[in-house]
Amino acid sequence: MSIDGRLPQRQLSQASLGSRRGAVMAFSEADTCLDIQGLSLAYAGKPALKDLTLRIPRHRVTAFIGPSGCGKSTLLRALNRLHDLNEDVSRRGSIYLDGHDIHDSRVAVSELRRRVGMVFQAPNPFPMSIYDNVAFGLRLQGGLSKRRIDDVVEWALKSAALWEEVKGRLRASAWSLSGGQQQRLVIARTLAVEPEVLLLDEPASALDPISTLKIEELIRTLKPHLTLVLVTHNMQQAARVSDYTAFLHNGELVEYGPTDTLFTHPRLRRTENYITGRMVG
Amino acid sequence: MKIPGHTAVGSKTLRRPHEGPWAWLAAASVALSVLMLGALIVLLSVKGLANFWPSTLHEVILDDGDTVIGVPFEQRTLPGGEGVERRYWIANRDDGGGIWRWLSVPRLASDQTPDDLVVLERRHWGTFFGRLVAVRLEGERLTGEAAWLAMEQRLKELDALRQARQQLTRDDILPLIRRMEREPSSSETQHRLDDRQLQALQARAKELRRLQQGGVLVLENSQGQRQEQPLEEVLDAWRPNAMAWYEKLGHWGGELWQFLSEGPRDANTAGGVWPAIFGTILMVLLMSVLVTPFGVLAAVYLNEVAHQGRLTRLVRIGVRNLAGVPSIVYGVFGLGVFVYGIGGSIDRWFFDSSLPSPTFGTGGLLWASLTLALLTLPVVIVATEEGLSRIPLHQREGALALGATRFETLTRVVLPMAMPAMLTGLILAVARAAGEVAPLMLVGVAKLAPQVPVDGEFPFLHLERKFMHLGYHIYDAAFHSSDVQAAMPLVYATALLLVVVILVLNLTAIFMRHYLRKRHGAPVRR
Amino acid sequence: MSDPTSTNPLYRSRQRRDRLATLLITAGGIGVLLTVIAIAVFLLVEVVPLFWPGADGMSLSALWSAPGTSGEAEFRWLPHRLEEGVVAQASLAPLLWGTLEAAIWALIVAIPLALGAAAHSSLYMTPGLRARMKPTLELMEAMPSVVLGFIAGLVLGPWVERHLAEAVSVVLLLPLAMITLALGHRRLPVPVQRYLSLNSAALWLLPCLLLLVLAAVQLAPLWESWWFAGDLREWVEQRWGLDVQARNAMIVGLAMGFAVIPGIYALAEDALSDVPRNLAEGAQAMGATRWQTLTRVMLPIALPGIFSAIMIGAGRAVGETMIVLMASGNSALMTATPLDGLRSLASSIAIELPEAAPGGTHYRLLLLAALALFLFTFLMNTLAELVRARLRQRFRRSRGDT
Repeated sequence: MSIDGRLPQRQLSQASLGSRRGAVMAFSEADTCLDIQGLSLAYAGKPALKDLTLRIPRHRVTAFIGPSGCGKSTLLRALNRLHDLNEDVSRRGSIYLDGHDIHDSRVAVSELRRRVGMVFQAPNPFPMSIYDNVAFGLRLQGGLSKRRIDDVVEWALKSAALWEEVKGRLRASAWSLSGGQQQRLVIARTLAVEPEVLLLDEPASALDPISTLKIEELIRTLKPHLTLVLVTHNMQQAARVSDYTAFLHNGELVEYGPTDTLFTHPRLRRTENYITGRMVG
Repeated sequence: MKIPGHTAVGSKTLRRPHEGPWAWLAAASVALSVLMLGALIVLLSVKGLANFWPSTLHEVILDDGDTVIGVPFEQRTLPGGEGVERRYWIANRDDGGGIWRWLSVPRLASDQTPDDLVVLERRHWGTFFGRLVAVRLEGERLTGEAAWLAMEQRLKELDALRQARQQLTRDDILPLIRRMEREPSSSETQHRLDDRQLQALQARAKELRRLQQGGVLVLENSQGQRQEQPLEEVLDAWRPNAMAWYEKLGHWGGELWQFLSEGPRDANTAGGVWPAIFGTILMVLLMSVLVTPFGVLAAVYLNEVAHQGRLTRLVRIGVRNLAGVPSIVYGVFGLGVFVYGIGGSIDRWFFDSSLPSPTFGTGGLLWASLTLALLTLPVVIVATEEGLSRIPLHQREGALALGATRFETLTRVVLPMAMPAMLTGLILAVARAAGEVAPLMLVGVAKLAPQVPVDGEFPFLHLERKFMHLGYHIYDAAFHSSDVQAAMPLVYATALLLVVVILVLNLTAIFMRHYLRKRHGAPVRR
Repeated sequence: MSDPTSTNPLYRSRQRRDRLATLLITAGGIGVLLTVIAIAVFLLVEVVPLFWPGADGMSLSALWSAPGTSGEAEFRWLPHRLEEGVVAQASLAPLLWGTLEAAIWALIVAIPLALGAAAHSSLYMTPGLRARMKPTLELMEAMPSVVLGFIAGLVLGPWVERHLAEAVSVVLLLPLAMITLALGHRRLPVPVQRYLSLNSAALWLLPCLLLLVLAAVQLAPLWESWWFAGDLREWVEQRWGLDVQARNAMIVGLAMGFAVIPGIYALAEDALSDVPRNLAEGAQAMGATRWQTLTRVMLPIALPGIFSAIMIGAGRAVGETMIVLMASGNSALMTATPLDGLRSLASSIAIELPEAAPGGTHYRLLLLAALALFLFTFLMNTLAELVRARLRQRFRRSRGDT
């Protein structure tokens, strides 16, 4: 996504490509943004992800669902190498971003994380002003003029549908905002560094219903410009906003396919049990 | 409900059972602890501040006609019902007797407080109690109220002269002499020029000294004996019995200010504590400059960089426990390693010419600050670590997810958030360092060092010099002065000053921590 | 999207800076920690030559030996004799004895007061009062020891010497009055009882205690003249042959107890407050009084924590220098009488080390004393810390969260 609004409008080809599990995917190799190949992760020897293979389409919303502890958040964090911080994590398999291995030793992790932005479950604005929060990532890169930063901050806040609410008090502390506003501020902060992928880890689970709706609305408006990956506990939310859904259980990918298909005609019994609420996490 | 075949265990009344005597003793121990603290502070405040109050002078006549002028201090009952004794501070060390006198209360025939009694603060022989008979000034002899006014006028002049001379010596003469000593080999003409300048300055100083002379007070002590007192030796004079309360208050403020701003006199039993205040502050400042970066560095390493394994945990416990190691042990380390080890080596390498008299190879400001920095290192490390670990993980992840490197996350998000905790730690460290005396006895305080370790001479801050310290001043004045009783009021005042400084520092730390907890208690509404 | 491996130079330099900074922090951090270890290493290295067979000819046993002069064994600390080659007259035993004696007296004063205060504030105090009481007692800990030493040595000591009866009267009357109060409290009318409740006792007892102390002081001459012929001190000397010194072990104990109370209080209070609430509430629900809950339920659980609090207090008491120096008289005596003076390891170091020639036997002996203090306090604190850590882990498990 870029500030100038020149968004690549690509036609999705309808070529069907099966995943390893045999799900029928409605996007081509060229439209694959993230390609996860045989990924296994273990925390201190305990396996958390087991040999996952799936492809995530560009400029679509992909949701990961599954009971708590199924590994969906772990998978999400693997996509921008946030696990690097934890020395107890061991990994096998690879992840490709636009065909390039993100674990390649030549990759600068900080740049990868800029390109693959992330929004967390609890809103985590820094204890600074609203403006400084949004400008944080820009200032890291250095060499930007004050004017330019002003412009980007305004654009990012507009993109996150927060501008109208905060434009008069950009210098106020970010912690003075409500929970929903804080979460949108975090999204704005992430958008400001122009990511290509946005990872959302249960972004609305800590919010009230109205704020949740606003966030979902925002996801829909961002979709044409960004690849979004959403982890959620909320079946309805997955059904409402995602194009593709992956169901994980015990660190394994159980079923992956277009959301409509998965929710209406799940192929596997386990999936059906989960989405109809018969399997409790 | 009843268990069949069982009688009820307890009574059915709903009165609450009584807690018993132990609970009351426990309650009393809280109250007693607080009471002891309060009593200590009140005692210090009263005794410390009362010292500056111009106390009323009594003139008592005993039944055998002996007259005594003095300030009643304390009273005690003699064993065996022999009556009550009262101790008077009678000053006048030059009269030969002590400055204290116990008088039997039943033997007092009269006790009056005449308005014309004066108190003189003198450079030699300490305080004088008595009467002013006359002033001889420039050939004139004044008596009565005129004498008093003339004396007050002259004392003001003398004060101005004294200050002018001090300033001249400090700012002009001493630096010039030092420069000439340092560069004796500079050109002949320069040398002559310097010499002439020095002579001129010294002549001016002599002139100021001469202007101070002249003027004699004729005094009369309690026995009616006359004595002459050169006016230049008198520092201050007042008539406490003739003063109204507001005059007394003004005098009290002046004395307090003198205590805070002047150097000690009479072997630390009189005068002020300014060099000690300055030394304490300077040492604590230096210590803060040393301890903060290293403490924060170690805490950041332990909390952010080191692998969180068994070893790190052990190191952390070790650091925590160092806070419990007696301060004297740090003093021993400072003496052995800093003073004898490093200081000795520096002397051998750079100050070879002045050996065997040591420059850095003896206790001094630098070594004292370093030792105290080491002593307070655990305090800063523990407080900083606590602050760092309190910062939620999602704050760090938020920065990382925006593409910040670990170092950028640290400097831009984590450290600013941990700042209050670091400050709290530093304040606690300063409070601890300000009150520590034992290690300083080994690494660098001086009994009397009127010269503060900062002056106009290069390199301005003299790290190798000894310095005075409030805490040590208390110890020294209380235990090593010739007359402990005479030094007591000053010790009280110094102790009060030290306690006030430390309490203020601690209260600041407590409020900061409170504010910190509150702010971090609810950072995000969920 | 472009190839993520062809990163632009900006990221490279930032990455490099990050690695460099990490390296520096690691180096600095390890350096600081090594300095800390250096303290122990330095003391060890300096002390070892003392036991080198050779020049000094000192053996461990010589430090404890008591050369029998005229039959009777005597332990002596006469370091100035060292220069004359009389090694055997520098026994550390009297110093160790003095250190222990002072510490024990301090703990005798501090333990009941600190534990009582901890029990009261964790059981009875209202949260608001407790939030104020804890920092107040923290201020007590901040009192500089040189001031405590001054008050003990120059104010309290001489006062007690002159007013022995008054001092004894205060010590005896306070607990008696408290027990009377406990028994009398239940007889009070209920509204008064409620007003003067145990929960706020710490506050309203303050003026009561003050009055009691004053009353005790006023009453002292009365009973002194009844039972001790008007002079307790004289009586003590004749009856037991004790001479009451102005600077003695009891005064040291009192001043050092004052210094140690807040440390023990804070840790013991933490230990008691960490006991899971539901346990205490369970006992109270069965009709136990709060005090019974404390002794039967909370105390057994919190005991290790309280022990660690006492250990840390003991560590502080053993190493305290200025109070002993100023209030003890500094005579290296080996008597068990609480009214005699004493001399401790720490105060000997403070007085003698600046005068001892570096590298000499006296110097090394004092360093041995420092090493002993270091090891003792370090071990005490480590033990205490381990006990606390284990205790906390157990509580966490019992609460069921991981």
